[in-house]
Amino acid sequence: MLAGIDYFIVIAYIIGMLLLGLYFKKFVNSSEDYFLGGKSLPFWAIGMSIVVSDIGALDFVGVSGQAYRYGISVGNFDWVGSVPAMLLAAFIFIPYFWRGGMYTIPEYLGRRYNQKVRTIASVTWILFFALDLGVLFWASAVLLNVLMGWPIWISIVATAGVVGLYTYFGGITAVIMTDVVQFVIMFIGGFALVFLSLYEVGGWDNMVDKIATMGPEYRNHFDIIQPQDTKSPFPWTGILFGLTFVMANAYMIGNQSIVQRCLTAKNEWHAKASMIFGSALKMFIPILVLFPGLMAVVVHPGLADGDQALPMMIKSILPPGLVGLMFAAFFAGLMSSVDSLLNSTATLFTKDIYEPFIKKGADDKHYLKVGQITTLVLLLIGVATSPISSDFPGIYVAIQTFMSYFQGPIFAILLLGIFWKRTTEWGGLSALVIGIGFAVYLNVFKEQFFTIEDPFLYISWWSFLLGFIINVVVSLLTKKHTEEQLKGLVFSSKILVENKKL
Amino acid sequence: MFNFDWLSGVSQETAKMIFLSLYALIGFLVLLLPTEYVYQGIAKEDRHWWNNLKLWSIAVLSILASIYNHF
Repeated sequence: MLAGIDYFIVIAYIIGMLLLGLYFKKFVNSSEDYFLGGKSLPFWAIGMSIVVSDIGALDFVGVSGQAYRYGISVGNFDWVGSVPAMLLAAFIFIPYFWRGGMYTIPEYLGRRYNQKVRTIASVTWILFFALDLGVLFWASAVLLNVLMGWPIWISIVATAGVVGLYTYFGGITAVIMTDVVQFVIMFIGGFALVFLSLYEVGGWDNMVDKIATMGPEYRNHFDIIQPQDTKSPFPWTGILFGLTFVMANAYMIGNQSIVQRCLTAKNEWHAKASMIFGSALKMFIPILVLFPGLMAVVVHPGLADGDQALPMMIKSILPPGLVGLMFAAFFAGLMSSVDSLLNSTATLFTKDIYEPFIKKGADDKHYLKVGQITTLVLLLIGVATSPISSDFPGIYVAIQTFMSYFQGPIFAILLLGIFWKRTTEWGGLSALVIGIGFAVYLNVFKEQFFTIEDPFLYISWWSFLLGFIINVVVSLLTKKHTEEQLKGLVFSSKILVENKKL
Repeated sequence: MFNFDWLSGVSQETAKMIFLSLYALIGFLVLLLPTEYVYQGIAKEDRHWWNNLKLWSIAVLSILASIYNHF
């Protein structure tokens, strides 16, 4: 339970965030300001924002829980599952999107393939983000329930109210600049827990020795590379093929909430640098979210639910004051994830659905208003759908399951779209539809095909591979696009030396 | 096939070498990028070694490789 000083810290944090977010309202005069921050933001703010929006309730609670159950191999998601993909994004994809003045990833797909591909991709992301919002709200409620005994619905509604207000008024500039403060608070709170937990378990070496003596199930707890025949969801084959080659790239290159931040950069160098700076910061994340889960194995052995590891550590290790700070850090992670999803989904809906299908050629203020109203509607959907995530055994695995349905096929069409001129609109469309269908099929019948506990990494790889093959075959059978249609949309070595001639 | 059974003979040490080789390959590809390209967006007179994004990338990859080498 929180002490008086903890309540003060948490309430001061929430009010501070609200005021800071609302301050940026005055910079929002057009839809470009609302969705792209007027293309004026520096790399360091964007880099911090990318990282903090990627770690929220899911990582604090879910990754700690996974680390408790499976050990350090969960860190692969922030190490090999981020850095290579972020470098590829920084040097190849982001410059194309930034120079093209795009708002959304589906907008690129629409220009490269056709309007149908754009719409399917956009609708898929909107659905995913809406479900993601529900999972985030539920994760916050789990922690609030353990720490403070608050009823689930009060926690969900309180979170939605604060984040919704500043996102509604301040747009992506408010989202990114509040993320910067949230990043700092999260790192201070997270590292405080790590250092005190390390002290409690008698240092790193002592913790490793203790866990090693706890039984055969902990034998691989400190192996980042897990054998191919492991029963955990993280065999090295899944990490290499599913995570490194597909999911990481799909996430960093094809995820609207990540890429949209880079599109707010003030120039091309800042856009590239934001991704690389973000990749450097990303390497610290496992220390914050994974180490407490490992230390909980020593401090609280035998927990039935791994997702309880972090809340139990906070309760038993941190003194008053630091509990409030840690709680603010958790809340920071949650808010940053929610605000990104809200703004990105509003951008997708306004630019990819509303503008082309519902009202073309309206004035800019109209689209600004549509973006704001969409933000509010999404907030309500997120709150309403949050109980769904309680049906899944691990919060983090739940989100990966949602993502694995379409990450593979979307990355397949993005990759071929930017690197292969011969890819056609029909190739892209069939790859997307059949690839997503195949991923859903594999998920439904996973017990028949896979031997590991949760095969989302394998599913993303196989659906990517099928999408890739379908795209190549159908493209070769259909009419190719003209050079004029492909101008500025397909990678050419010329981009490296003739930057103005895209 | 779906479970990559055909790679069951690969040891954890060999698998780790595969990851480390991947980082080395990415680093090599980054070094091949034209310097002009990584500075794009910065005025010529403001270009210094510390805003050379190739160096940033190599630093990040080196830290990543050392983590995988340790664990």
